[in-house]
Amino acid sequence: MNEKELLLQAIAGSEADYTEIRIDHEVRNQVQFQKDKLENLESSSELGGIVRCLKEGGWGIAVLNDISQLRQKIQEAERMASLVGQHSSEAAALAEVPVVQQTVHAELERDFRDVSLREKKELIASYNRILLSHDKRVVSTSARYTDSFREVTLATSEGTFIVQQVPDITLLLVAVASAGKTNIEQGFETLGSAAGFEFVLGREEQATNAAKRAVDLLSARSVDGGKYTVILDPGLAGVFIHEAFGHGCEADSLFKNERMAKIMTLGKRFGNNELNVIDDGYVPGLRGNIPYDDEGVARAKTYLIKNGILTSLLHSRETAKKMGAIPTGNARAISYEYEPIVRMTNTYIDAGVCGFDEMLAGIDKGIYAIKAYGGQTMFEQFTFSAAYAYEIVNGELGEMLKDVVLTGNVFETLRDIDMIGDDKELYGGSGGCGKGGQSPLPVTDGSPHVRITNVTIGGK
Amino acid sequence: MNSFLAELKGRQGELYHLQTRTLPVKFRSGKLESIKSEELEGLALRVIDDGRVGFATTTNVKDTRGLVGAALATATFGEKVSLAFPAQEDHPSVDTYDPAIVELSETDLVELGQDLLTRLERVSSEVDINLSINKVVETVKLTNTSGVDVEEERTRILLSVDIKKAREGDIFLLSEQSQASYLGELQVDRIANSLIQQLHWGERIVPTASKSLPVVFSPAGAICLLLPLIVGFNGKSVFMGTSPLKGRIGETAFSTDLSITDDGAIPHAVRSSSFDDEGIPTTHTPLVSSGVIEGFVYDLRAASLAGVESTGNGSRGGFRNPPRIEMSNVTISSGTHSQEEIVAKIDEGLLVESVLGLGQGNIISGQFSNNVAVAFKIERGKIVGRVKNTMIAGNAYALLKDSLIGLGNDRRCIHGMLDTPTIAVGGVNVIGQLK
Repeated sequence: MNEKELLLQAIAGSEADYTEIRIDHEVRNQVQFQKDKLENLESSSELGGIVRCLKEGGWGIAVLNDISQLRQKIQEAERMASLVGQHSSEAAALAEVPVVQQTVHAELERDFRDVSLREKKELIASYNRILLSHDKRVVSTSARYTDSFREVTLATSEGTFIVQQVPDITLLLVAVASAGKTNIEQGFETLGSAAGFEFVLGREEQATNAAKRAVDLLSARSVDGGKYTVILDPGLAGVFIHEAFGHGCEADSLFKNERMAKIMTLGKRFGNNELNVIDDGYVPGLRGNIPYDDEGVARAKTYLIKNGILTSLLHSRETAKKMGAIPTGNARAISYEYEPIVRMTNTYIDAGVCGFDEMLAGIDKGIYAIKAYGGQTMFEQFTFSAAYAYEIVNGELGEMLKDVVLTGNVFETLRDIDMIGDDKELYGGSGGCGKGGQSPLPVTDGSPHVRITNVTIGGK
Repeated sequence: MNSFLAELKGRQGELYHLQTRTLPVKFRSGKLESIKSEELEGLALRVIDDGRVGFATTTNVKDTRGLVGAALATATFGEKVSLAFPAQEDHPSVDTYDPAIVELSETDLVELGQDLLTRLERVSSEVDINLSINKVVETVKLTNTSGVDVEEERTRILLSVDIKKAREGDIFLLSEQSQASYLGELQVDRIANSLIQQLHWGERIVPTASKSLPVVFSPAGAICLLLPLIVGFNGKSVFMGTSPLKGRIGETAFSTDLSITDDGAIPHAVRSSSFDDEGIPTTHTPLVSSGVIEGFVYDLRAASLAGVESTGNGSRGGFRNPPRIEMSNVTISSGTHSQEEIVAKIDEGLLVESVLGLGQGNIISGQFSNNVAVAFKIERGKIVGRVKNTMIAGNAYALLKDSLIGLGNDRRCIHGMLDTPTIAVGGVNVIGQLK
């Protein structure tokens, strides 16, 4: 019996109201240099599956590596779904979606599965040499390459059967510079895409930039904490919109909580007329792409904010049913070990009309914050740290600053965006998004430069 | 010798075999939402061929040829190492297995969660509670061509609760977790009492000034100060020169009240095991004794580079990753006062339970700058309310050396790995809303 027959037969044997099986085949390579040593060179393969059953309004889930156990696992998931259904007064239901039978092939310019380990290793070694040799003060480096090619099959009791090939390739280049005991700084470049091996070629300049930044930061001044007008570069603005706002639009954190849902009522004004925020499930080549989500729902281009007004949330089939919305194709799982939850794809602030010089003009004392080290949100409160920054004095860029951490209330901060640039860029880093124990999920963030007034900056 | 190591035909190799069964039960907004049964199995093979190391993993546990072939292929281009796999050593086994956890059924877990929910819901009708409870049973088998052949079963139970209290213009989010290797040690009552106390303290929002203040970090909040040390005491960072502690053994780098140990052999502790993920017996490693730096933690690879012995801190975090250094159970020395007594001595300051953006920024240097997630204002020795939109900044190394006010007597295990009391430090830069 081939895999398709096995899945269809297993589903046919299920007595649940809804049953889905997702099987994931993956092959991956990793090459990592640390300082002057090859830290890891790895070649792995994986096969696993997840069964999800809805019965009497409850969810039962089973995860397995041994696919021959599929029928037993479906029975187990059914039994647990019943138990949940009988226990809970809140019955889950699914919004209707079209049945899809489709195979989506990845189209790679140069398939990384056909590239030798030798070539992968030598390329990363060459980037590592650039990082290491840039300056004597570079004490350590990390140059990490990963590739992963997944073939994900989704079969549901409604008749959907989708096979999707999901390529992912990343490159992380880090230099650590030191000028004595506690003066230690990092510079990094992080890249990721749903692309072929060509994506990681020709990145010498990024390696040089990472090393140069680590060294420059050794003599940069720590920012003085306080309130500033801030210009965010597209990278940092992208992380901001993803972390601070995007997560708040994920309907699974709202759909069973009326008070939270009220805070995110559609039609509410969140920013000025120029502000548009979009989650788009498919932009050619981007890392956050998913033609179909892990419930078999086709991608969508969803305006979260249109002309400053909240116009949509991000949904799974379950949240859409409960909230009377249309599923947006945002139910995603990082692997077969997990059930799909509501996640972003490619999320960005759309381009405006302002030039960068226009933004600088009129700032007496401000900060130009560039790239993100990381960010976190607790619904309305957010925080993220800039990789580096420059001070702005009387409309001009001044000296380099470090330890720039931005924080605030997302609703106030969105209203305080007073200028949106015309220079939108999108980035898929080498990391990814984390939520509900599922990390890293490949996503893309982006934005043009944006100017925000009244931002609290924490310094030393 | 198993078929994988036999297939290596005389080359050095190490096979790690992990079987994991978990049973997460999730409640959302106070209602049971899902139960999941997970049964995972995977293999990792590390080989040394002609002095070069290779690594491969698979979920196909019968695919001897495929896994050996993949590992040897990576070894062709692998790093030249002076690594040797260890031989079997006799050592006492550590208690890591509780049959009571194995016997827990999904109904038992549902009832455990439901009881806690009911207790919390009685306190306030405004709260929205997400709760998850999960039991983990794993079997680790490790064999190598130098004679190690060990197997261990380990159990764990994890409980986590998130509470949202949403009002227009203010969303108060609280969370608490407890992990244990033995069912009887899961701190259900402590979670309930702590959440109820914090909900009570958080009723009122008070403003904060921007100035230098003493900050009392609760055990959960202390991770903010201790995370840089977890990176700094990693023997690999020390060897690479990225740890600010490099070359400083014997130096008084911390307050003399502070002692820190790492110990992977504490019976019942969450990260305990009889042997680490490279087959080395776990042990007690002093890191700081009365302020003086004593040592660092190592796995096989870092130990061979640094010319020292592994401290049994080789950890994989699943079968997919090669071993790397991880702390096992880190213990921070206790003080003599309760948290309440420490707070009572502070005229103006903050009590911090958790911060946002933990670990972001320049963590290696000890620098932190975080928005508080859950924190309370102390005035004249009393908690007067919750603070919002407030940042705290400082350097963990400097604060723990020159500004330690006191350690509490309330030590408990956070994040399953760090046994820490309340830690109070002075001179933290607070950035609030008041000028």
